[in-house]
Amino acid sequence: MSGELVQILEGNTFVVSDDRGDIEASSTDPTGLFSFDTRFLSRWVLTVDGQRLNALSTDDLAYFQTRFFLVPGTGTVYVDAKLSVIRQREVADGFHEELRFLNHEDKPVDLEIRIDMASDFADLFQVKDALKKQGSYQTRVVDGSLILEYRRETYVRETWISSSAPATVNDKGMTFSVSIPPHGEWRTELDVMASMPSPDSAAEGPTRIRGKRLVRRDMARGLEKWIQRAPRLECDWEPLRVIYRRCLTDLAALRFSTLTLPGRSLPAAGLPWFMTIFGRDSIFTSLQALPFTSELAATTLLALGERQGTRIDDFRDEDPGRILHEMRYGEMTAFEERPHSPYYGCADATPLFVVLLDEYERWTGDTKLVRHLEQSARAALRWIDEYADLQGNGYISYQRRNEETGLENQCWKDSWDSISYRNGDLPGFPRATCELQGYAYDAKVRAARLARDIWRDPSFADQLEKEAADLKRRFNREFWVKDGEYFAIALDTDGRQVDSLTSNNGHLLWSGIVDKSKARAVAKHLLGPRLFSGWGVRTLAEGDARYNPIGYHVGTVWPFDNAFIAWGLRRYGFKEEAACVAAGIMEAAEVFAGRLPEAFGGYSRAATKYPVRYPTACSPQAWSTGAPLLLLRTSLGLEPSGDNLIVDPALPNWIGHLELLDLPGRWQRVDAFGRGRVDTRKVTN
Amino acid sequence: MPTVKAAKPTEDPISGFFDALAGRGHEPTFGEDSATLRFDVGDGTRIERWYLTVTGGDVSVTRQNIRADTIVRVQRSDFEAMVTGRLNVMAALLRGAIAYEGSAAPLMMFQRSLPSPPGSKGRVPPISGRAVMAQRTAT
Repeated sequence: MSGELVQILEGNTFVVSDDRGDIEASSTDPTGLFSFDTRFLSRWVLTVDGQRLNALSTDDLAYFQTRFFLVPGTGTVYVDAKLSVIRQREVADGFHEELRFLNHEDKPVDLEIRIDMASDFADLFQVKDALKKQGSYQTRVVDGSLILEYRRETYVRETWISSSAPATVNDKGMTFSVSIPPHGEWRTELDVMASMPSPDSAAEGPTRIRGKRLVRRDMARGLEKWIQRAPRLECDWEPLRVIYRRCLTDLAALRFSTLTLPGRSLPAAGLPWFMTIFGRDSIFTSLQALPFTSELAATTLLALGERQGTRIDDFRDEDPGRILHEMRYGEMTAFEERPHSPYYGCADATPLFVVLLDEYERWTGDTKLVRHLEQSARAALRWIDEYADLQGNGYISYQRRNEETGLENQCWKDSWDSISYRNGDLPGFPRATCELQGYAYDAKVRAARLARDIWRDPSFADQLEKEAADLKRRFNREFWVKDGEYFAIALDTDGRQVDSLTSNNGHLLWSGIVDKSKARAVAKHLLGPRLFSGWGVRTLAEGDARYNPIGYHVGTVWPFDNAFIAWGLRRYGFKEEAACVAAGIMEAAEVFAGRLPEAFGGYSRAATKYPVRYPTACSPQAWSTGAPLLLLRTSLGLEPSGDNLIVDPALPNWIGHLELLDLPGRWQRVDAFGRGRVDTRKVTN
Repeated sequence: MPTVKAAKPTEDPISGFFDALAGRGHEPTFGEDSATLRFDVGDGTRIERWYLTVTGGDVSVTRQNIRADTIVRVQRSDFEAMVTGRLNVMAALLRGAIAYEGSAAPLMMFQRSLPSPPGSKGRVPPISGRAVMAQRTAT
């Protein structure tokens, strides 16, 4: 393979190729055309007279479109410039590829152009874990199109490939014997379609195939409209414009539609391997984006409500009222070798579903949706009390029932070592992590408002408020680590505190569960030397046994985490502290050219000068993309209050003047202005 | 709309399922949804048709021809597995064991009324911290 991998996508269809546009996947190599978690092309190699091509340049025209400039000859010194090839590719339920061959000589040239084609139809899980296929393969040629097929019982996946120029087609690809006149051009357009045919041909599968040609949408115009509809940002600090533009574009790329809600979109979790609904990620990203677009939140709520758990299913860790963790569409899910149809093993998405419903209404005034989802919200609240209280102590706990393929840690810090005592020991199961109790508290308080104002059920509202107050009282007593003045990350099976110091304290501020008398001590820790790196708040404090500045959830800095921490600091009136967190993350975003990674190293800023990227395959990631948006909200102090939007800025002084124009909401459109006055550098540097 | 409450052989899980659903009259997990589904249940020789109509969460079942928003085609053995909790609708759809025409949302609504898989208990014994540590040091 030569050079960097190139990725383009649309919805959950994406192509990963080398910088020539070629695909040569092995069973474990993640290149190919993927759709619905299945690889539909594992080989797509262009040759001219048996020779591979060389990339002169590769341009990402848009997230769904790439152009490759190629020349024959693979030598690094000698390049035959008598012929050049322009290969342009666009993704849409498969991909469309235009090939142009330009003859630069003053005599005609005869060429044999060949594209090798094949597919292994691997499930994404198989690509990750290198597992074997159980079905059989077949290829056939129909009316000049090549059809690659995989079949296992009633499970059928097909790739249809056709060309506008006549080709000689065999079961391994297409050959074009062409003659190009002096200074002339030859071209063809190829369509590669991912198909999930149903065994009954009268019914159509999830892909939209009309005849033999790919249905192409005007995606460039769609993207332009998306950006135009968003509020306009004006700012003295130039990098912020770049960051904002990058966030909007990446958020557009992360939009994902479900079969049940065609034409609407919700945020998928990340590109390219997580282009699917995740309860937690879709909710957090929708919350972050609410001041800028409410469409993502509405679709997220509807899609998660439709798939809310209704029964006890141990394989899927499903309970009545539970909001899903992750949906997948590949072969292993189809044959129940993986539980993702959908999988429910997640303890935070259910209370967060209620939180999002309330926050959505506060911004939009859309009481119709709140009434529509009343039963879903009530079922979610019942889940908190009846199904999530695994220890009968009034707290949400989690423990997987699917011990083979289920998730051990069902909170956002889901790696095996993320929940530990100061001394590094790991607690047993069930685990009651602290932020879950905060989310449950917030869900009850917010649901009480919805019950009183919209569902017209004041006695339910009273009951929820009483339960919330009781939860808050117990939580502040039982989770508070007295000798450290912060909240423990969890209670273990004996009710003992899992006493490490973590960023989860910031989520507790966001939820409102923290007693006012304890908030200052918590804020001091978040901005203190053990947690704050200068770029942001670390997941685990320096000094605890498992701290590692490049440990996934035990020392790295997560931009999304920090955005919610900033929101929490603002909630308790710590405006300047929130500005410092925003400052660190925004400056890191500048270093990353506007696109924040999922996480970066927790090294002290003074020691490394630059934030060190955590190696991860997924970028952009939805909640990292949403982080600067939420930080804009907290910096300007945007808060809906009835039909008005309150603006109460607290900005880093080096940002200068900041305007967000045409913020949408129940107030129609309003503008927000702020001027940087907080000296954040004394904390971040 | 006439609902079916006619005597059926009790060993037929499909009519048993529909009878029970219609008997409940209102299905809370359907929320405020409204839709009609037609199920074409085939056994290789003949096709049996069932219609499920939901109006604001209220349920009625009939065998008489009416207009449907979604038509679901399924083999009898697979449908029996579904209504007894042994086959998940989404997994069945992905593997081509069922097919549908029309809107997907009513199918998603329908699957919410299906029972738990046999044997799912909802609780597992706790695991001690010592067991977690022992397992981590062993691997």
